[in-house]
Amino acid sequence: MPSLVVPMGVLLPDSILRNDFIAVLAAFVAINTIVYVTLAVAKILPKFYLRDWLAASNRRSETRSIHPDAPVGGPTGGTLGTRLAQPHRRTRE
Amino acid sequence: MQWLQRSVGLAIIGLATLGAGALWVAVAAGDPEAGHAPDEGLLFGIWRVFYDTEMPAPRVLLAAVGVALLLAAGVAGVERRLLTRARRSEDGNRMPLAPKLVMTETRGEYAGEVTITVLIPAHNEEGCISETLASLQSQSLPPARIVVVADNCSDGTVRLAREAGVDVYETVDNKHKKAGGLNQALAQVLPGQGDNDCVMIMDADTTLDAGFLEGAAKRLTNDRALMAVGGLFYGEDGFGLIGQFQRNEYTRYQRDLRRRRGRVFVLTGTASVFRPRALRAVAEERGKILPGVPGDVYDTIALTEDNELTIALKTLGALMISPSECTVVTEVMPSWRGLWAQRLRWQRGALENLGAYGLRPQTFRYWMQQLGIGYGVIALAAYLLLIILMILATSNWVWFPFWIGIGLVFTLERVVTVWRGGWGARWLGLSLFPELFYAMFLNVVYLKGIWDLSLAKQADWKHVVQTAPGSRAEH
Repeated sequence: MPSLVVPMGVLLPDSILRNDFIAVLAAFVAINTIVYVTLAVAKILPKFYLRDWLAASNRRSETRSIHPDAPVGGPTGGTLGTRLAQPHRRTRE
Repeated sequence: MQWLQRSVGLAIIGLATLGAGALWVAVAAGDPEAGHAPDEGLLFGIWRVFYDTEMPAPRVLLAAVGVALLLAAGVAGVERRLLTRARRSEDGNRMPLAPKLVMTETRGEYAGEVTITVLIPAHNEEGCISETLASLQSQSLPPARIVVVADNCSDGTVRLAREAGVDVYETVDNKHKKAGGLNQALAQVLPGQGDNDCVMIMDADTTLDAGFLEGAAKRLTNDRALMAVGGLFYGEDGFGLIGQFQRNEYTRYQRDLRRRRGRVFVLTGTASVFRPRALRAVAEERGKILPGVPGDVYDTIALTEDNELTIALKTLGALMISPSECTVVTEVMPSWRGLWAQRLRWQRGALENLGAYGLRPQTFRYWMQQLGIGYGVIALAAYLLLIILMILATSNWVWFPFWIGIGLVFTLERVVTVWRGGWGARWLGLSLFPELFYAMFLNVVYLKGIWDLSLAKQADWKHVVQTAPGSRAEH
């Protein structure tokens, strides 16, 4: 019968794996790993910017351009429908 | 005061250890079940395998996920709050560069189109200066003026710069290396600059991508409150595995910044553009709100002057951005020795800057970052210790389906976050473990940085001299 059982070096006795210290270490590593994997998942997922859709109150009152007569840019407010139809604001191209 | 600066590293690693210790005690109090013998089974009815379906209890899983999300959201929330506060500040004494104040001071005034004067600090850079100057001169929007700040050059740097038709400023009795040279040059350049005559500082070993200056000028034109535009750097090609490790790291850093929509961590010394108002305000506040010598733009004591200048500008309330169109190619360290020296300087510089600024709202993010690295050192060391113990004490290979699944998620994250880096980057991410050892290497550098700082060892400035493309020597 083919076997996927790979014999490994036994420099330490099997019994240490049932030691209390190892049990705490394993649980400690397990919790850390879950914390880090949660952060990893957050990094994989696309980022959602709630403020993009709710930025009506963030309206600019004057131009920020170096040209004093330039039109007022930036967030423009409006209904949710018009905001959704706008290209992304802030730094996104 | 010096003892306080020296203890910064110990305070951070102490806090991280305290956190890890608290978790350890909590775990031990729960009396976790010791490992049991694995089950034996048949895979697809053919292969005999040992496996262990062990996984954390659902409440532990939920708590760990919750803590992670809370931590991430908490840090991001506080950072955003502090940023908003700076943007709305009207306190000219504490935040003279706050957008509201700058807007008021520049309202209705037109100071001309945005121009960019480039300062390139150079110390024996004949191997790369010509390429750097060519990349500047071929920009879609060429700079108004290029000045090579030659500091104690004994090679052909000055000659090559003059041949390329750019100005050369040779430093006089400069004892403070790059920061000192830049201070001298800025003292000459800044007084003549109008409000929109911006200054870019860039490294001599850096090549700008074609649209950098145009992108920066557009940003600075559209927003008169914007005080600085930082470059996004990525690593040059070549140098095998060690080059790829660094490229992957930079690609992830770029991705993080894009996801922050350009909100700056550090205005990179490789290439960043500043409005003269910002640099003047920093020089003005040195010795008052900011550490350093009054009148100096750069703090000559700081080991990482770009990081220090970023914190200085943040402290003064400046609005800054690292937009995705402003990219630069920077050198990668060709050897482990070189990488060690570079990172040790970065690490120690970052800690020293935190020591110099102390606990201020503007340094919150940087303290958290250091604390995160500190905890990461402990977590990764514990993980590796457990793996080694398991390998040494297990007589047969045991499969852990739950942890294999977790490992696959990590692998996915490694690949997704370097996807833009191309196939070389993706393969390295997919192999997971080499990058884990690279992380361990950086962790050891981190500990060495703390050790050196605590013992107040003299920091060494390793300078990499580029002799010819593809070959470098460290001095």
